[in-house]
Amino acid sequence: MKCIVVTPEKTEIDQDASFVVAPLYDGEYGIGQGHTPVVARIGAGELRITAPDGAKSVFFIEGGFLESSGDVVSILTNRVLTPDEVTLEKAEADLASAQALEQTTAELFAQKEKAVRTARGMAAAARKWGKK
Amino acid sequence: MELVATAQFRKAMERAVSAGAYTQRIAAMVADLARAGTSVSHPLLEERKTKNGAGLLILTANRGMCGGYNSSILRLGHRCADDLKAGYEKLQILISGKRGISYAKDRGIELAASFDQFNDKPQFSEVVTIADQILADYLAGKIDRFDVAYMKFLSVSKQVPVVETLLPLSELGGEAESESPAKKGAEYEFLPSPESILEEIVPTAFRVKLFKCFLDAAVGEQIARRVAMKAATDNADSMISILTTTYNRARQGQITNEIIEVVSGASALQG
Repeated sequence: MKCIVVTPEKTEIDQDASFVVAPLYDGEYGIGQGHTPVVARIGAGELRITAPDGAKSVFFIEGGFLESSGDVVSILTNRVLTPDEVTLEKAEADLASAQALEQTTAELFAQKEKAVRTARGMAAAARKWGKK
Repeated sequence: MELVATAQFRKAMERAVSAGAYTQRIAAMVADLARAGTSVSHPLLEERKTKNGAGLLILTANRGMCGGYNSSILRLGHRCADDLKAGYEKLQILISGKRGISYAKDRGIELAASFDQFNDKPQFSEVVTIADQILADYLAGKIDRFDVAYMKFLSVSKQVPVVETLLPLSELGGEAESESPAKKGAEYEFLPSPESILEEIVPTAFRVKLFKCFLDAAVGEQIARRVAMKAATDNADSMISILTTTYNRARQGQITNEIIEVVSGASALQG
């Protein structure tokens, strides 16, 4: 099975995989060989790819969609970060600025919710990876 | 300069091509949603009857030396702005690129926003900030229509200045990639629901489309610059050959003159 991760700028990851765990809007979702076709919304969090030889790689992805059909898992996301690019300090700063956003209208509230969720997802990933 | 422009054009072109993958996949996903029986409707897709305000973004270059690139877009943008002014109560004009900004300044055109941070490598994160601002204005009812005037890339030898209406969105993300026969029969499971995915996919399609405009403009600018610089190089070459000929003629004439003087002087002495 193939795992392809695409951002609006370029194709970031295109590799063979035996198992993919993606952060959906409400929790993690695992996809193995022969998974039922699915289209899903992605939240912010850790993407884990296990290669056929057992090598594991992790990334942080933010928002977008996942489509799994046949032999291909394609993930469309806004941003892909490697663990080196994620720090807890930055995530917490993002969270603080997201929480300070206004929420006077429904649109602004939705925007704030999204920013807070993204920052929380990044902070969770950073903590898990033992980042400071 | 021609070589520099060629190298930059290659880079810009590569970026534009690699960005195409995302657009195609979005379009394919929308096609899947439609096949699953979801009615594709969203506030961003509906034409509005109210005509309170309109937005127009004009994408020009930061630098000159690219032939008629800036002037052709500004001419089109100006015409379009006049049309929009006639149809809508308020018009917000946004301009990207120093050339366009100074054009507006010279003519006393008021700008709602101006950007000069985009060079030959527009970043998605930067474009998203602008896109979200426009989306917020649109949803709040400040604008009922949003257009972009830019140089559309058709092929390496053809780019045309166009005005495209991005809001309301007419279609989602361009042509879908050709479907493989195996994929057609697939029944998708949607998480959480087709409607919720659609709700998210429509704004994303808008952001990506706007990003595509920026990329096209960057490619168009580099092509225009390459063509302009090629013409300049060719002109200089032909001018050099004309000047060399003129110089050689003059030199030859002078030598001939001197020989005649020497010869006639000598023959006068003999005589």
